[in-house]
Amino acid sequence: MEGTAVAVFEILRFLIIHWKCDIDVSKGALLEGQLVISIEGLNSKHQANALHCVTTIASAGTLFGGMVLKKFLKEIQSILPGISAKLTWTSEEGSYSQDMTGVTPFQMIFEVDEKPRTLMTDCLVIKHFLRKIIMVHPKVRFHFSVKVNGILSTEIFGVENEPTLNLGNGIALVVDSQHYVRPNFGTIESRCSRIHPVLGHPVMLFIPEDVAGMDLLGELILTPAAALCPSPKVSSNQLNRISSVSIFLYGPLGLPLILSTWEQPMTTFFKDTSSLIDWKKYHLCMIPNLDLSLDRDLVLPDVSYQVESSEGDQSQNMDPQGQTLLLFLFVDFHSAFPVQQMEIWGVYTLLTTHLNAILVESHSVVQGSIQFTLDKVLEQHHQAAKAQQKLQASLSVAVNSIMSILTGSTRSSFRKMCLQTLQAADTQEFGTKLHKVFREITQHQFLHHCSCEVKQQLTLEKKDSTQGTEDAPDNSSLELLADTSGQAENKRLKRGSSRMEEMRALRSARAPSPSEAAPRRPEATAAALTPSGREAREAHGRALAPGRASLGSRLEDVLWLQEVSNLSEWLSPSPGP
Amino acid sequence: MAFAPMGPEASFFEVLDRHRESLLAALRRGGREPPSGGSRLASSSEVLASIENIIQDIITSLARNEAPAFTIDNRSSWENIKFEDSVGLQMVSHCTTRKIKSDSPKSAQKFALILKILSMIYKLVQSNTYATKRDIYYTDSQLFGNQTVVDNIINDISCMLKVSRRSLHILSTSKGLIAGNLRYIEEDGTKVNCTCGATAVAVPSNIQGIRNLVTDAKFVLIVEKDATFQRLLDDNFCNKLSPCIMITGKGVPDLNTRLLVKKLWDTFHVPVFTLVDADPHGIEIMCIYKYGSMSMSFEAHHLTVPAIRWLGLLPSDLKRLNVPKDSLIPLTKRDQMKLDSILRRPYVTCQPFWRKEMEIMADSKMKAEIQALTFLSSDYLSRVYLPNKLKFGGWI
Repeated sequence: MEGTAVAVFEILRFLIIHWKCDIDVSKGALLEGQLVISIEGLNSKHQANALHCVTTIASAGTLFGGMVLKKFLKEIQSILPGISAKLTWTSEEGSYSQDMTGVTPFQMIFEVDEKPRTLMTDCLVIKHFLRKIIMVHPKVRFHFSVKVNGILSTEIFGVENEPTLNLGNGIALVVDSQHYVRPNFGTIESRCSRIHPVLGHPVMLFIPEDVAGMDLLGELILTPAAALCPSPKVSSNQLNRISSVSIFLYGPLGLPLILSTWEQPMTTFFKDTSSLIDWKKYHLCMIPNLDLSLDRDLVLPDVSYQVESSEGDQSQNMDPQGQTLLLFLFVDFHSAFPVQQMEIWGVYTLLTTHLNAILVESHSVVQGSIQFTLDKVLEQHHQAAKAQQKLQASLSVAVNSIMSILTGSTRSSFRKMCLQTLQAADTQEFGTKLHKVFREITQHQFLHHCSCEVKQQLTLEKKDSTQGTEDAPDNSSLELLADTSGQAENKRLKRGSSRMEEMRALRSARAPSPSEAAPRRPEATAAALTPSGREAREAHGRALAPGRASLGSRLEDVLWLQEVSNLSEWLSPSPGP
Repeated sequence: MAFAPMGPEASFFEVLDRHRESLLAALRRGGREPPSGGSRLASSSEVLASIENIIQDIITSLARNEAPAFTIDNRSSWENIKFEDSVGLQMVSHCTTRKIKSDSPKSAQKFALILKILSMIYKLVQSNTYATKRDIYYTDSQLFGNQTVVDNIINDISCMLKVSRRSLHILSTSKGLIAGNLRYIEEDGTKVNCTCGATAVAVPSNIQGIRNLVTDAKFVLIVEKDATFQRLLDDNFCNKLSPCIMITGKGVPDLNTRLLVKKLWDTFHVPVFTLVDADPHGIEIMCIYKYGSMSMSFEAHHLTVPAIRWLGLLPSDLKRLNVPKDSLIPLTKRDQMKLDSILRRPYVTCQPFWRKEMEIMADSKMKAEIQALTFLSSDYLSRVYLPNKLKFGGWI
């Protein structure tokens, strides 16, 4: 992570802190606004094999009404002494007003020389950072574009209209599960599309005496939140198992904590898996997962563990994908006095450099709070697993009982009638079909038993008597899923498959496709930078077509890598847009 | 038939004989029709066919992609129970039902257990073997969880198929005892003679199968508690007041004990009296014999003996006999609630004397066990109380 990424992080952090502290945003209100971040890289004239990158951060709309811009520029320059970049500020004439209601769009530009591969990594890191921000600031939208020697790619990061859980203190956690875990399209089962976080008790953190830093006029408070993803509240025919744990770290005001040990995210505290909770209580053996590839369109965890699989996991009925235990650690700063923005900045710096020491010092309270939270979540999982096992057992009992009567009957007309009804040639085939149809019917109903889909469930129960006439294999199952799991699911499943076809066509034809379908293309123009996003190719986290987004971004990354691999073309003597 | 002629003289039974005559006259007047609803003794092939029909319905539902469900009568709901003086509590013809669905998280397990027990019944009937409810529970106790689950499902199946439990080849475990002037032959040919001795005879498990019942008994005395029953045995009551029959269900009676009492009444129309504690629990047990229970109301016609009379211990006896207050026990809150519940039941309205006795108990807020009479003298029960009651018609 080098200059461009660091600068973007610092500027965004400062903007958000300033946004919350100096602008009169009430404590509980969510931040709202749009920022445009664009990076343009051209072959550097001063360094060989390097790109001269000009990064522009611009606002759209009434983001910074009332901000004293010159003061802001001065302060931010003091924050970024290490950036060997030119930092300039442009704004509309006469808009230096302190009028709180004034519209003050602004634009900040800085320039850095970087290697292409470094720029690529920086872009991925920035995207990761933006994703993490919007997960807790759902009303903030980022337009991010990168143009390298005329080749443009654009993404919009926004999660408006997605379900959220208000955590108070001006942040709300996005609970659409597709941001955290990629859905397994291979299985026909569907699950609840949301995570159901459990909030833990806030605990005060202790700062070791030997940690140099400011004297805080307040306290650091850690609040954990945990959830299983996908949610275990919906049963399927497969047993749920926890396969991984993802930990997300957030600092004050919901700012993602990018630790100074970024390249080595596994700090001492997290390296010892027993620091968090007693995993053995839930028969889980955790090992650190160091393979945190940036090249994914999900919200990347800061710390990740894998669960070592046991023999029980090999059973036929075990869900191969498993569930991910999500743990969010929010560290906030509470003070009896009005908090100044530089104080927040200082706290943030303290956390990024000394989080490990602070967590170790506060080990017992941290562990207690996290244990309590995870106990609640895992207990739910445990209960769901038990319910699932009970259901499976009931199914087996029912099928075996029917088979017992059928095979024991001496009345040939009865046996014949049973076989004919299920279109089975013999009792063995009958048994297989019986099990299958029972499973489908019970699974079909159980899929809708999710607490966040109560209304749809009530509707479905009323339709029980006519359910048989509505149901048909596959397509209508998808339709019914849509009724109860939200419009998004159905559209995702349907558009996902149609999206695959579009992508194939795109790859083969390399021709413009309908506006919503195509991601970045080589022929795209600078019009893609407009904040309205009409030319935007993807929308991260849009509930209407998350599957489309994931497929699209996968393709985009493939295309990006393809372009980057052809560096020799860009570094040719006659490049240029 | 020669029994040991140890009983009182014939005049002792005059009131009893007149009572029997009135009961017979009432029966003739009533012209009681055979039961139209409720369960019946079905043949094996009928039971097998019924079960196969159920399976066919399930498979037809599955083929239509509909989740199969059982429709079960709400046996234990007062709205489905009516009272008839001649029968007691019985289920109404068009009663409310509930569905046991296979695709509901709450009922999927019960659905499966009903199928499981149906398959076990199928095998029992096919092989012409019998099992008790306890046997069925122990075939897979972990699956069933507890005995009550099995009991309820068996009753539900009996009600659903409209056949008696016996027809399902499921026996209830007998715990009752019988003594006195009675002999019979069991299904397997065993000859049983219940003549009073030191020990009583266990109520057989196959009441429908016993035949050649023979008795000269002038009355049948149902004793609530085993302790009282044993005391009467020890006091040679059956011989002192011979010819008579004594029976106990040792508390709440099992099905076979109730079936035997019913069989004795149906066969001999001998007056039946109850001897219970003067407390709400005893009264409720008496009501079970006389009018039946809510849970078994679907089989009322085979189980109830509305002709039963309350012989003792009456709450009014306590004052009449000057039973010492030390031997009385205050009613608990639970007793009060049970007493209130019994007073609200439909059959009490046609029993004004019973109601009066219960109101005496409610007013005094005291109860007494039969053993309270031992405060008067150790053998007061068998030597004075019961003989006087029976001789002078002290029943209600």
